[in-house]
Amino acid sequence: MIERRFHRDLYPAAALASAVQVYERFARFEVADEGDHQVVRITAKKPERERRIALELGNYALGLTRKEALS
Amino acid sequence: MSTLMFEGFPKDLVVGDLADGSVTLTVDAAVYPLEAVYGAAYIFIDRCFVLLDRPKAGSVSVTLTDKKGAADAGALRQMAGEFANELLTQAWRQKIVEENRVLLETVTMQALAGATATPAEPSLDDLANFDFTEEAFDDPLGIAMSWEEKYKKKTPAEVAGEAPAEGAPEGKP
Repeated sequence: MIERRFHRDLYPAAALASAVQVYERFARFEVADEGDHQVVRITAKKPERERRIALELGNYALGLTRKEALS
Repeated sequence: MSTLMFEGFPKDLVVGDLADGSVTLTVDAAVYPLEAVYGAAYIFIDRCFVLLDRPKAGSVSVTLTDKKGAADAGALRQMAGEFANELLTQAWRQKIVEENRVLLETVTMQALAGATATPAEPSLDDLANFDFTEEAFDDPLGIAMSWEEKYKKKTPAEVAGEAPAEGAPEGKP
């Protein structure tokens, strides 16, 4: 299991939720609120796969955040 | 985790991690607005994995992980330098946009208003009723007259007709 922390000031909850929705067919996701962060815990078959999905999720959430800010 | 400092960068602001193939830059939010950070980060997502965080109030950390993996110290330093440059570009662009916002909005509004307004085009009836006999304007100095009309060679009759008026001595009855 791998964990990624997304700060609420930087990643809107809607952007993160959409990103999780896109990647949830590749791994199991748990999203929890912890203070200023939304914590996403990712479980996949292999650690490398977990790491890759976590990194891709970060990029996707950032892309959605930026898109939302421009629209 | 093998942390790495880079020559030419402040030690506490740019830290590399060779094992992870990533570099983390800490950006002062007072110097670089958040929009500039987003802009620079967005440009880098095609070649890096980018993660933003807020380690403390008033600063944003940007972690760049090379997509190809196994980045060496030189590649990480290059990545950090390019990101810092892009960040500066975005901040400057943001400043220019803010300074010219009123002008941009005015020009855009005028363009949209001009595009949406329907000009009152004359109909064929208006054209049929138009009075073409009316003089368009007075031209006492002959400015609108063509060169040929103004300087054409005069016939003897025309010269004879003008001669008394031009030849009459001024000031005499």
